[in-house]
Amino acid sequence: MATSRREFLRNSALASTLLLVPKFLHALDRGPGLARLSDATGARRLIVVQLSGGNDGLNTVIPFRNDLYYKARPTLGIREADGILSLDKDMGLHPALKGLKGLYDQGHLAVLNSVGYPNPDRSHFRSMDIWQSGSGSDQVVSTGWLGRYLDSNCPDCQRPYNALEVDDTLSLALKGSQRKGLALKSPGKFHQISQNRLLAKVSKEATTEHHSQVDYLYKTLAETASSADYLYDKSKIYQSTVAYPNSDFGKNLKTTAELINSGVESRVYYLALSGFDTHVRQHEQQQRLFTDLGDGLAALAADLQKNNQWDNTLVLVFSEFGRRVGQNASNGTDHGTANNVFLAGGALQKKGVVNDAPDLLNLDQGDLRHQVDFRSIYANVLKDWLGADDTAILGTGFERMSGLV
Amino acid sequence: MNSAQQLQHLYWRAGFGPRPQDVAGGLSPRKALRQLLHDSEKYEPLVGPGLNYTDPQGMVMTDPASTKTNPVPNSMVTTPDQPAAPGAPAAPVAPLRPRAAFKGGTIAAGVPRLRRAELTPQQRKMQNEGIRDAFNNMSTAWMDRMATSPAQLREKMVLFWHGHFACRVRQPGAALSLHNAMREHALGKFPDLLLAVSQEPAMLQFLNNQQNRKEHPNENFAREVMELFTLGRGNYTENDVKEAARAFTGWGYDYQSRFKFREREHDAGPKTFLGKTGNLTGEDVLTHILTQPAAATFLVTKIYRFFVNDVPNPAHIEPLARDFRKSGYDIADLMERLFSADWFYDPANVGTHIKSPVELLAGIRRTLNVKIDNEQPLLGYQRALGQTLFQPPNVAGWPGGRNWIDSSSLLLRLQLPAILFKNAEFAVALKQDENDIAPNLTKAERTVRPGAGAHLPLAPLQQLLGATPVPQQPEKLSQFLLQTPIRPENLQLVQQAAQQKEPAEALRTTLVTLLSLPEYQLA
Repeated sequence: MATSRREFLRNSALASTLLLVPKFLHALDRGPGLARLSDATGARRLIVVQLSGGNDGLNTVIPFRNDLYYKARPTLGIREADGILSLDKDMGLHPALKGLKGLYDQGHLAVLNSVGYPNPDRSHFRSMDIWQSGSGSDQVVSTGWLGRYLDSNCPDCQRPYNALEVDDTLSLALKGSQRKGLALKSPGKFHQISQNRLLAKVSKEATTEHHSQVDYLYKTLAETASSADYLYDKSKIYQSTVAYPNSDFGKNLKTTAELINSGVESRVYYLALSGFDTHVRQHEQQQRLFTDLGDGLAALAADLQKNNQWDNTLVLVFSEFGRRVGQNASNGTDHGTANNVFLAGGALQKKGVVNDAPDLLNLDQGDLRHQVDFRSIYANVLKDWLGADDTAILGTGFERMSGLV
Repeated sequence: MNSAQQLQHLYWRAGFGPRPQDVAGGLSPRKALRQLLHDSEKYEPLVGPGLNYTDPQGMVMTDPASTKTNPVPNSMVTTPDQPAAPGAPAAPVAPLRPRAAFKGGTIAAGVPRLRRAELTPQQRKMQNEGIRDAFNNMSTAWMDRMATSPAQLREKMVLFWHGHFACRVRQPGAALSLHNAMREHALGKFPDLLLAVSQEPAMLQFLNNQQNRKEHPNENFAREVMELFTLGRGNYTENDVKEAARAFTGWGYDYQSRFKFREREHDAGPKTFLGKTGNLTGEDVLTHILTQPAAATFLVTKIYRFFVNDVPNPAHIEPLARDFRKSGYDIADLMERLFSADWFYDPANVGTHIKSPVELLAGIRRTLNVKIDNEQPLLGYQRALGQTLFQPPNVAGWPGGRNWIDSSSLLLRLQLPAILFKNAEFAVALKQDENDIAPNLTKAERTVRPGAGAHLPLAPLQQLLGATPVPQQPEKLSQFLLQTPIRPENLQLVQQAAQQKEPAEALRTTLVTLLSLPEYQLA
């Protein structure tokens, strides 16, 4: 029985009012006790890589034996002779994705085609809102899917640093109604800010008064400061020697690997690579971005493999939408709909190309029709990888995929 | 609570905070409220040359007829890329056409819009920059009003309605027109406000009513008008949504962005909506919605949560809702009752509201009479803190309350006074997906840095302090700046920070330290 939209939203609203239940608050233990959770190195973790701007999936996983593809893209289509990296089912990766091909060859990559949602929205902002909140396009949900995972009270998601975003600000994806993840560009920079004299003093103050909003602010501040200390101390344990791309994204991946290999108890990492809005000069942009993406993920995999952390890591790569099937007049593509999703990791249940290439004969006004609801993948990841209650987090109304991870 | 504290509470909630001169005036809260209502009576539209964006000559317009064959399902206006004809591999570059050519054309499907795909990269960049500048100028012009206008209550109401009737569109002109409709009716009668907003091209476009036609009804507007604007869930059925959508068929706008009722697209047949049967029009549906008692309760609850307390109290809300309905939904009358109620000044309602980023920034500017040299960085701080005017996160608006606070936003909030007044080092990269206007900015372009050039005049505060002896000054200032009592240990911190500084510097340091406390996040 499908939960209706209304029921789902009502539950979310109920969850947010739980916030207002007064709680006995006390200052967090700032000592070593904070880090005393179970040994993190054995636990599974998820790394989400967001390709911002709407990546052109058809030039990422290329149906290079399909004439319709070249007909729709007379100059933008990529030819076999250009160096397409052949996969299963008559598809191949963009020539710049050598890093991903390497993972594929090791059986560490799964490719899902035609992933999307009903009534797709072509606004970057709205579609990203839908992917990050894990809602349908007819729903408005003001928490993120990973934030609700934190809210779900699992033993390993009680601390803000259990979900980390490697950036200056926190995405909706990691905001729950009761718990939120933590954004940091690097443990060093984050620690430095929290060492600001006044902040450091204020954050040590106990929250004993019963003035709920003030308590909430002090609690957040204390947790932030404790987390900064913890991450800073912990991150000194491991320094990567693997070569990452010399880019912002490469640095962020390296930070992620160092945190993981240092034994930081984070279940979720969130990173973004942006610049995929390729209305013009798509070839040049994808070439550069894919080199960054492929080489970066290959370096991450190597780094984690060296430390026996790759088997309990799952990487999920998505973009807010794909592009239109036909190229535009500026050697680019405009906003489209369904797209591919990559899963990578050392312990995938399903490897290689999971489903068929998009059906280019059966388009919806020049756009791909989605075959897989992105929430079906989220549900599989939440339930079978993170061991969480996917229905409570995502609601229902779509099938949970099984056997991917 | 003494009367000065009550007065400050009123100024924070009914506006963007008290200035020292407001407190020094020593008005009773009742008199101050009357003054606020009086000062907010006049409607002054937000206008100015910098707020408009005109497409440069020679840009390509879409043929309105082509949008008819290619409606964009469920898309928002923020994404102007129109689908090409089905199966077409590459859109041919359309010939340039002057706007006048559309005057006689069919405009059934919508205003002509720029086809971004057909612009040269240079034109596209110019267009994006023009649009972005217009939105930035709209935001700063509005923020200036919040900080300086005597019509504080109207400014605060407009901010409330801006979140209530949340709407994101790409055209600055349409967004400004919607803004001014809310500004005009902000304190008027709600039925007038609702009708005006419902017929604004921005809203019709955002909620897809432009695509709502007799043969193919689109329910988006009909649903949201009940769910988010008037009744709330549980007070209508799916069938009511369907019937209301039929009543709104034909509501659209023309190529000059004016409301247009397209009779041929309208379903004039009989409908049954919330128990009423007849050949209902869109206007009939809006009127009938407001006969439902649930409407007043829903609206007053939302207003209560914004102006009084996150936790609604039915004992306070129900009497207000009754009177609101009886008054024909007179908003000014409702606000006067709300701000006059004894419970409004209950300690449980004072200092318990987490300021939104806009309230925080406008509040610092207003309460301290701050002069700003360059407002651009302020827009960046707002974005980094999660609130960009004219760009609400979705149709439900900003969720508010504790949603504003996470580790990084709290750290930034606490550093903000030092960034503004001490030029503290600061660099935060905004996310790529912050907006649809320029989604491919480089990291350097997305990075927000200090440099607002904020001046903090001390004279008004020195006047407020009067003869207060130096050791008591931090406490006195804390009573003016903080709506929740300062902790003794924080008072000590503030005092220490100012020690051994010459008087003016000591005062500045005291102020900046007080503004940097978690308590300052509350009003």
